[in-house]
Amino acid sequence: MNVLSCSINTLKGLYDISGVEVGQHFYWQIGGFQVHGQVLITSWVVIAILLGSAAIAVRNPQTIPTSGQNFFEYVLEFIRDVSKTQIGEEYGPWVPFIGTMFLFIFVSNWSGALLPWKIIQLPHGELAAPTNDINTTVALALLTSVAYFYAGLIKKGLSYFGKYIQPTPILLPINILEDFTKPLSLSFRLFGNILADELVVVVLVSLVPSVVPIPVMFLGLFTSGIQALIFATLAAAYIGESMEGHH
Amino acid sequence: MAINMIMASSRALTTPCSSSLTPQRPTRAKLPLITLPKASLPKFPTTQKSLLPFISIAIASSLTMVPPSLAVEIEKAALFDFNLTLPIIVVEFLFLMFSLDKIYYTPLGNFMDERDAAIREKLNSVKDTSAEVKQLEDQAAAIMRAARAEIVSALNKMKKETQIEVEEKLSEGRKKIEAELQEALVNLEKQKEDTIKALDSQIAALSEDIVKKVLPIS
Repeated sequence: MNVLSCSINTLKGLYDISGVEVGQHFYWQIGGFQVHGQVLITSWVVIAILLGSAAIAVRNPQTIPTSGQNFFEYVLEFIRDVSKTQIGEEYGPWVPFIGTMFLFIFVSNWSGALLPWKIIQLPHGELAAPTNDINTTVALALLTSVAYFYAGLIKKGLSYFGKYIQPTPILLPINILEDFTKPLSLSFRLFGNILADELVVVVLVSLVPSVVPIPVMFLGLFTSGIQALIFATLAAAYIGESMEGHH
Repeated sequence: MAINMIMASSRALTTPCSSSLTPQRPTRAKLPLITLPKASLPKFPTTQKSLLPFISIAIASSLTMVPPSLAVEIEKAALFDFNLTLPIIVVEFLFLMFSLDKIYYTPLGNFMDERDAAIREKLNSVKDTSAEVKQLEDQAAAIMRAARAEIVSALNKMKKETQIEVEEKLSEGRKKIEAELQEALVNLEKQKEDTIKALDSQIAALSEDIVKKVLPIS
């Protein structure tokens, strides 16, 4: 009993000290609807970074690539490799989707860890990685669902729905359930990882302001990259799964 | 449909958490703000029962020391707050996908494919020229062989010529020497005969002298 009260007190103390703002949003009103302003601002920055760097690096491609072009070629090779291993030979049309998924999530996650968003004070809430918000991750996960349905329907027509009774019709409920668990797990995995990472860093910084949080920050960078790769790989795997023949 | 699922699950996930946290907050703020119509929630009687003592302890402990700051700070922590941000992010993502495809994936991808094709072509052409190089090498080797044979034959010819010359000169010299030898021999013979003749003519005088000396006639 003592232990429990102690832990509650310490938790409260942590909450007091760190001043962590969880679930605080900077609301905008757009035509009677509410919008999370901080997510939109950071996502615009991320999109600007991506488009700007790509436009500068690929503006004038050289046969012998310079440093920037070299990096972007490497990234493109990487994306193509991920798409090819998951989707198979017909990966070509899906490279933009998988690549944008990976790059957007990756740059978003790293921007949350590397860019000093906290310098800019908002009236309410605070700027953080766009993937820190459930709206973003659910949006990306739903896009993935739409993408794999689209891929399957384009490839096989209505016979795509035959996969629901594929091994046996007994598995029909489980197969239908999978269509819900896929976006659910995708979105919550990304959301939870990024939010938890930022929270851990913030709490550690508030407790021990120097040196100690640095390894955790590096761990956060690592996790962010891994999460982006996992999201893109799984999206590609779902697309590939719905495109491959079930005979 | 999927959103409904997510909402329902998120609610189910977070309710125990918020119920254990609420006693700390006088304002009774809830962690998730759910905007969709209420779905019938599954009840968990067993967990509720086991939570009861914890909740009572939490209430007791929080009543003894209520932090004044928390009441002001915490309003609504809207972690699972779905609104218009979601479709806007979808639109932004699609925009990013199409523009990145226009400025990055397609141009650079085509460029890389073309370069790969060019490099492969060049490599293939290099393989072809290697056959040509072999042919040229063979030709060079043949030329070298012919030249060497020519040189060898020329050398042999010269050797033969010089040998013949040398032999000619040798035989000439030998003939000359033989002729000289013959001549000398003939000369010698003649001198010998001459001296013998001269000796013959002198023998008579000498023998007379000897006789005279040996036999004193007087």
